[in-house]
Amino acid sequence: MEILNLSHSDIIALLVTLKLALTTCICLAIIGTPIAYFLAFSSSKGKSIIESIVTLPLVLPPTVIGFYLIIFFSPDTKLGQFFILLTGEQLVFSFYGLVLASIIYSLPFWVQPLQSSFENIGKQTIQTSNSLGAGPFDTFFNVILPLCRRGFLTSFILSFAHTMGEFGIVLMVGGGIHGKTKVIAISIYDHVEQLSFAKAHYLAGGMLVISFIILLCLYLSNKNISVRVK
Amino acid sequence: MTSLFVKIKGQLGNFNLNFEHDFKSEGITVLYGPNGSGKSSIISAIGGFFRNLEISIILNGQDLEGKQKIPSYKRAIGTMFQDPQLFEHLTVSQNLDFAVKRVKPRNKKYINIEKTDLIKSLDLETLLKRFPTNLSGGEKLRVALARTILSQPDYLLLDEPMSDLDIRYKAKLIRFLKAFNKQNKIPILYVTHSIEEISQIADEIVLINKGRYIASGFTSKILNSYDFQNLVGKFEASSVLEGFVSKINKRFSLTTLNIDGQDLMVPGSPGSLNNFVRVRIRSRDIIITPIKINSYVAENLLVGKILEIEIEKKTAFSELVIVLLNKKNENKGQILRARITTYNLEKMNLSDNKKIYIYIRSVSIDRQAYQHN
Repeated sequence: MEILNLSHSDIIALLVTLKLALTTCICLAIIGTPIAYFLAFSSSKGKSIIESIVTLPLVLPPTVIGFYLIIFFSPDTKLGQFFILLTGEQLVFSFYGLVLASIIYSLPFWVQPLQSSFENIGKQTIQTSNSLGAGPFDTFFNVILPLCRRGFLTSFILSFAHTMGEFGIVLMVGGGIHGKTKVIAISIYDHVEQLSFAKAHYLAGGMLVISFIILLCLYLSNKNISVRVK
Repeated sequence: MTSLFVKIKGQLGNFNLNFEHDFKSEGITVLYGPNGSGKSSIISAIGGFFRNLEISIILNGQDLEGKQKIPSYKRAIGTMFQDPQLFEHLTVSQNLDFAVKRVKPRNKKYINIEKTDLIKSLDLETLLKRFPTNLSGGEKLRVALARTILSQPDYLLLDEPMSDLDIRYKAKLIRFLKAFNKQNKIPILYVTHSIEEISQIADEIVLINKGRYIASGFTSKILNSYDFQNLVGKFEASSVLEGFVSKINKRFSLTTLNIDGQDLMVPGSPGSLNNFVRVRIRSRDIIITPIKINSYVAENLLVGKILEIEIEKKTAFSELVIVLLNKKNENKGQILRARITTYNLEKMNLSDNKKIYIYIRSVSIDRQAYQHN
C-alpha cells in the first residue's frame, strides 16, 4: 500500500503518531485541566512547587526525562509490575508507556495556556456565578468552559503538535517498534540513517507543512497565546 | 423582618479584620469607610467567599457559617461586585436567564420579581439581544443589577456599584434602588466611599475603619457625627439639613426649604411642594458673622448659636459646631458645621453660646447634595 509515495510502514507510523497525540490530549484534558485551575486560583504555598514541576519538561533535555521514565517504567518498579499485572505487557516499549511519557512531556503545553486563560476570567466571575446560584460544576461547564474555549483550543493544539513532534523521549521510552511505538519522527530518523533521503523528504516536508498550518491557524484565531517559562 | 448578624475576625494578609454588627434595617444600609478599610472583605464574607477566617453570618436566624457551612451558591444572598461581571459568552437576555434558571428555594414572605417588569423598569428592552462587549458601562451595570435581583435574593449586597457612572445615571439608579427596596422589602447593603452617594441613598450608615466597626445609626445622625467627620477628613466635612419644600420659584429654578421655620433656598427642584428633602452643606461653604450684614452676601441667612469651637493646632482652620434656631421647638435645633480660619475666628471674637448669622450661597449646593425620601 502506497499513498503519496509513503510506504506502508510510514503510513502505520503516521497513524501511531496521530493516535498517540490524540490519546495524550484526551488524558491531558482530564489531568492537566484541574492542575491549571488550581494554579490559576489557589493562593496556597504549594503552588510554586507544583508550578515548577509542571514547567520542568520545558527546560530539561528530553533525554533526562526519558532516562528517568525508563527507570520508572521498568518491570522492577511497582508501576511496572502493576502494568504487567493489568495487561501482561511491560510498560517500557509499549504504546501506553509512550502515552504516559507524552503526558508528562506535554503537560506544560496544556497547563500554561489554560492557566492564563483561567486567570484572565478571574475569581470574581466565578464568585458572581456562585452568587447567582450556580455550584462548582455548573459554573465550570456553563461559565468557565465557554469563556475559556480559546484557552482550551490553544492548549489542545499546542499539546497535539508538541506530542507529534517529539523524538528523544519517544525513542528512549518507546524504542521505535514498528506498528506500536514507531512514530513519524523516528521514521524520519531511520530513513536518514539508511540514506533514503527521498523518503525522509516526504515525511519531514509533510511535518513541516502540517506544523506550520496548525500554528498559523492558532495564531490567526487567537492573538493571546502564552507559553511561558518561569 | 430580615435580620443579618455579621462577625468576622482574622488576619487577611497584613490586615487585621475585627468586625461585628447586627444589621437590622430593612432599608438601604451603607457600609462606609476609607479605601482599604475592609468594606469589600465584609461583603465577600457575607457572600460566602472566604475561608480561613473566624466568621459568623446569621441570616434570618440561620447560621450560614455553622458546622455545616452553607456554600455561596446556596445562600439567598445576591452579591454584585464593582465590576459588573457579565458573562461575555451570553447575550443580555441569556445573562438574565442564567439567574432565573438557578433561583434558590425562597422564603415565603418575599414576592417573586418578574423578569419582564424588571426589564422595563431598568430600560433593558433594547439591550436584550446584545452581547456584553457591546454595552456601555452604565448599561452593563443595569444588566448586572437586574441579573442579581432575578436570582431572588433575600439580601442584596452591592459593592461600589456606581463608582464608574456619571451623575445622571447615578441619580436614576439610586431612585430605582430606593423604590425597589421599598416595594420588595429586600434589604440592601451598599458599599461606597462616595459621600454624595451616601447622603442620597442611605437610610442607615455603618462606619468602619481599619477593619473595625466605628459607629452606626440613621443617616443624618451619622453624617453629623464626629466619627464620620474624622473619617472623611476636614476638607470634605459637611452636615446634613432636613426640611420640607415650602416654595418653588420656577422662573429662577429655585426651591425654598423650610428648615424648622427658617428658609433655605436651594437650586433646582429636589422635590415637589411639601416633600421632605435632605441637603448636604459642606463646612467650608458656610460664611458666619456675629452681626447681621447685608443680604447680598448670599441668598440664605440662617440664625443659630455656637455650640462648640474646635481650634486645630497644626492648621489655619477651626471648626464650629452650630445649632440652628428652631422656631417650633427651641431645644431641638439641627446641627451645622462650619469651617473657618482661626484668624477670622479671633477677629470676630466668637465664643460658645454666642448668637451668630450663617450665610449659605445657593450656588455651593449642587444636585448631588440632595437626598429624596
